[in-house]
Amino acid sequence: MLELSGIVAGYDSAVVLRNVDLVVPPGAVVALLGPNGAGKTTLLRVASGLLAPTEGRVLVEGKDMTGSAPYRLAAAGVCHIPEGRGIFPALSVAENLRLQTPPGGGRMAERAVEVFPRLGERMSQLAGTLSGGEQQMLALARAYLCNPKLVLLDEVSMGLAPKIVDEIFEYLHTLAAQGTAMLLVEQYVGKALALADYVHILKRGRINFAGEPCEIGEEMVAESYLGVGA
Amino acid sequence: MSATASARARKAGPLADHRPAVLAALPAIAVLVIGIPWVQANHLWPFVVTGVTDGSIYALAALGLVLTFKTSGVFNFAIGAQAAASAYVFYSFRVDAGMPWPIAALLSLLLVGVVGSLVLERLALWLAEAPAVRRVVATIGLLVLLQSLLTGLYGTATIAFDDFLPTGLVEIGSVNVGVNQMIVVALAIVATIGLFLFFKSTRLGISMQAVVDDSNLLALQGTNPVKVRRYAWAIGSSFVSISGMLVAPAIGIDVNQLLVLFIAAFGAAAVASFSSLPLAFASAMVIGVSMNLLASQLTSNQNLTISAFYTQVPFLVLVAALALLPPRRLVERGARRVRRARPIRAFPRQAVYGTTATVVAVALLIPDLVGPGDLTQYTTGVGFVVIFMSLGLLLWTSGQISLCHMAFAAVGATSFAHAQHNGVPWLLAMLFAVAVTVPVGAIVAIPSFRLTGTYLAVITFGVGLLFQKLLYGTFLMFGKFDNQQVTRPDALNMSGDRGYYYLSLAVAGVCALAVVAVRRSRLGRLLRGLADSPVALDAHGANTRLTRLFVFCISAAMAAVGGVLIAGVTTSASGNPSGSFGYFNSLVMVAVLTFCGRQPLLSPIAAAFLFVVLKIYPPFDSGFFVDYQGVFFGALALAVAVVPGIARVQPSRRGALRTPEGGPVRARRDLQLRGAWV
Amino acid sequence: MTTGQLPDLTVENLTVRFGGLTAVNNVSLTAGSGSITGMLGPNGAGKTTTFNACTGVVPAWAGTLHLGDCRLNGRSTASRAAHGLGRTFQRMELFDSMTVRENVALGPEAAMSARRPWGQLFCPAKEAREIRSRTSTAIDLCGLGALANRTSGDLSTGQRRLVELARAIASPFRFLLLDEPSSGLDVQETEQFGAILRTFVAETGIGVLLVEHDMALVADVCTYIHVLDFGCKIFEGTTAETMSSDIVRAAYLGSEGVSAAAEGLAHA
Repeated sequence: MLELSGIVAGYDSAVVLRNVDLVVPPGAVVALLGPNGAGKTTLLRVASGLLAPTEGRVLVEGKDMTGSAPYRLAAAGVCHIPEGRGIFPALSVAENLRLQTPPGGGRMAERAVEVFPRLGERMSQLAGTLSGGEQQMLALARAYLCNPKLVLLDEVSMGLAPKIVDEIFEYLHTLAAQGTAMLLVEQYVGKALALADYVHILKRGRINFAGEPCEIGEEMVAESYLGVGA
Repeated sequence: MSATASARARKAGPLADHRPAVLAALPAIAVLVIGIPWVQANHLWPFVVTGVTDGSIYALAALGLVLTFKTSGVFNFAIGAQAAASAYVFYSFRVDAGMPWPIAALLSLLLVGVVGSLVLERLALWLAEAPAVRRVVATIGLLVLLQSLLTGLYGTATIAFDDFLPTGLVEIGSVNVGVNQMIVVALAIVATIGLFLFFKSTRLGISMQAVVDDSNLLALQGTNPVKVRRYAWAIGSSFVSISGMLVAPAIGIDVNQLLVLFIAAFGAAAVASFSSLPLAFASAMVIGVSMNLLASQLTSNQNLTISAFYTQVPFLVLVAALALLPPRRLVERGARRVRRARPIRAFPRQAVYGTTATVVAVALLIPDLVGPGDLTQYTTGVGFVVIFMSLGLLLWTSGQISLCHMAFAAVGATSFAHAQHNGVPWLLAMLFAVAVTVPVGAIVAIPSFRLTGTYLAVITFGVGLLFQKLLYGTFLMFGKFDNQQVTRPDALNMSGDRGYYYLSLAVAGVCALAVVAVRRSRLGRLLRGLADSPVALDAHGANTRLTRLFVFCISAAMAAVGGVLIAGVTTSASGNPSGSFGYFNSLVMVAVLTFCGRQPLLSPIAAAFLFVVLKIYPPFDSGFFVDYQGVFFGALALAVAVVPGIARVQPSRRGALRTPEGGPVRARRDLQLRGAWV
Repeated sequence: MTTGQLPDLTVENLTVRFGGLTAVNNVSLTAGSGSITGMLGPNGAGKTTTFNACTGVVPAWAGTLHLGDCRLNGRSTASRAAHGLGRTFQRMELFDSMTVRENVALGPEAAMSARRPWGQLFCPAKEAREIRSRTSTAIDLCGLGALANRTSGDLSTGQRRLVELARAIASPFRFLLLDEPSSGLDVQETEQFGAILRTFVAETGIGVLLVEHDMALVADVCTYIHVLDFGCKIFEGTTAETMSSDIVRAAYLGSEGVSAAAEGLAHA
């Protein structure tokens, strides 16, 4: 589905990603772990076209889309839910849902409400006045509305209450069961591993582990996050 | 934590939605309650009707300005010129080509509104990552270009333009209202409501609000932000074009008059903190009505300043709004992504000495090299070198913006004249002029404490116009005959052209040394730091307000010196808008200095030569070059502002750095800082 | 100004709110002179907000901030700096058009300009000498000698971080706050940065509060660590205690930790 090869990318004078290879097979869930500042967000930005890599190639379904504008990658089926809240706070919930639906997608807002009934009660409210959990649900509704082939998720559980995190992961499991491929950056390592088919660990801009969740031990994750061996 | 947060947020919800509208409505209701009986009692309804008509025209332009500034981050200083262009083109098709007016209007709308929008959208794209100075200079360049082009093509005389809308009268209540007036008002109301519905109910309209918030997110959601901005420019630019055509029959077509008239749209947009469309509409109406009511009350007054006071309303509104609005409502879009300008290249020491020696030698020999008739032009040039040096200090060394520099020069020249009239000798009068101008510079510096970039440019533009329209004509400055006599000093043959040239040169030399001294002093280092990173200076304990105050004061003082020198050339000074001290010259000078580079001394010399002296030599003394001088200056400034951006068109080629504080905290705080858009 | 006792930074019961959102909730901490104290926490934990409250970028909703005996609440950023509180920026605020040496020198120069009302205009010879000596000491300490005449805008991120540190070191600050200095640095550059920081603190006795998300640098240089999560302080202790703390692990790896993940896998 998504193939990143030899990606070198960064901002101005800072190189963040140093020769990263990563593949997300169709329908698979890949967890991308690593400490803060490792370059996870940058990797997702490269995958969705927000940042063009200085070297390397981005292939979506075998098609070279290196340097394509984000809206073209979105049209090709890549759905990036960015860090923070991927919503427009000054627009209403209904308006947000409308922008999330691809043109000609019909009245999809009802479908979003099926998935997140809470949103239904708040359609005319400004999205910025929703609670953190509701905002994230609104952002995640897009992964449903635009029928993506690949969803890039950047710390969608950050700063949310545990109960809401559970609800969101339940939704992600449903999405995965439908065969949507996912690249998941997540702070809740346990939950991410339970969902993932493959795991990559990124550290200081390089992949230093790639494998399956069962191969990875607690100490390995702890070491990569905390920088201390046990 | 998040539970309380959400409860609060929800409670604030419905109010937050309508807060700007509510805030605007309360004073509006108060005005209506008090105003209607007053208007009724004094039979002022005809003035209200004219005011609403004028207001509608300003409203159209203000809506266009707000829409394009919000979506693209580029403030179109040239809307007045664009409106004038539209009116002239309309005139050409209707009168010169004899077409029926609807076709002529449509063609003008297409040419100036739509084709113009394509040009502007492209410029804005190239300016997306430019520092504020370049973004300002680009549209100032466009303004200078258009003004000169239109004056060159159509002349400076006001062209009378017959009404094209039906002129019949309808009696409403006891007031006769023109059908044309009704059509104009209806058009503005339809445009505003239409825009409102467009934003509420169409996907493109919603995208336009979204692109302001977060264009990256919009792109991730599959909508091309560039396309959305293009439509925003098309709508905004068409509104401006229509307003230009509507205003033409009422006052005739005159680009210089329209430039000033459309400041009303700037004022309305400023009151709406450049973001709320209904508020922009409402304040345009208030400006229109209050101008007409003031005019009705004051025209009989003997004092010219008071009787013409109504014309000041737009400038006062513009300056007051920017001075009083909380700075958090005036945060420039994309300010984080700005690429800093390349450092100014320093020449090797040898080259500096060589160049200095050459320039000084040439300057000393000029009276012997050029004819006596040409010498006065060189003396004026020397005066302008001083003003350009002071402008460069502000613009390039300290990174501040002033679009009212000739006002400083005018204050200098007129206080010099006043001192001379009271028998003060030349040198002391010069020092007096400096002493008077320094506090003026300090006052203009105050907005720079809270505003930066485009907003600072807009408010100094307003200040320049206030000086021109409100103060130049008073006894404090040029007086009601718009003329102040000055004399040259008598000693050492300095009253002759040759002597006065050498005197000016000596004064300019002192100023040049002062610039060098400032740049080498601690203040100079702090100024360079201020241009690069005010936050870092602040974090090391320097009081950056004081730094800004100093640079404005020094720059104003030096501009005053330049003003005195220029006045001495003709031994009289006038504040004519198109003369040396006119507000428009402040704009042209910023444009000229921009394409002359950022060298502290060499660039001002080059700029003054191009600006003042070059036009006495062939082929530049031909009618063509004199008429279209502004076209070249404007085009060059525009090119210098835009060219560095052309190579970086692809926004996806680089990413914005991650914001230092991501996540919910920032998202929430941003929401609170942001006024609602519609 | 560095004469006399060097101050500690004391934060007592700090609460910061943005509208309805409590970003920092009742946090207290002390960062002593002569040592490097760490402030750790995952994204969105409130580290940067605490930092900004200390420097005066955001107002403290409740609680007090002291630098030694000097109460900081209500003072402007510049005034806090004038009282000896220095800071660096995560996004590196350098004077990009100037050389490295000019950058470093402008730090103490800006600080000294605030000593007198007209201090911005002239630089007395005595201060000029002091600035020169402070600048060259800082440049030597940070190993920037070879780059001293390069324009800082052209340097790499790692070099720019060092320039910013050198500028803060050269200034007459009595306490330093560093905002995520390791972001954008590779392993080697981070180690180099940590070594310079340790030398600086050992030589001058100035206290440093290091706000970081990267454990490696913190473990390397800090003696005592405070950990924040969800705006609250969840742990404080020595470096060794922090590194072996389950609470800290949970904060970094999600509340269930990795052992729960292993359990989850066993079920699957």
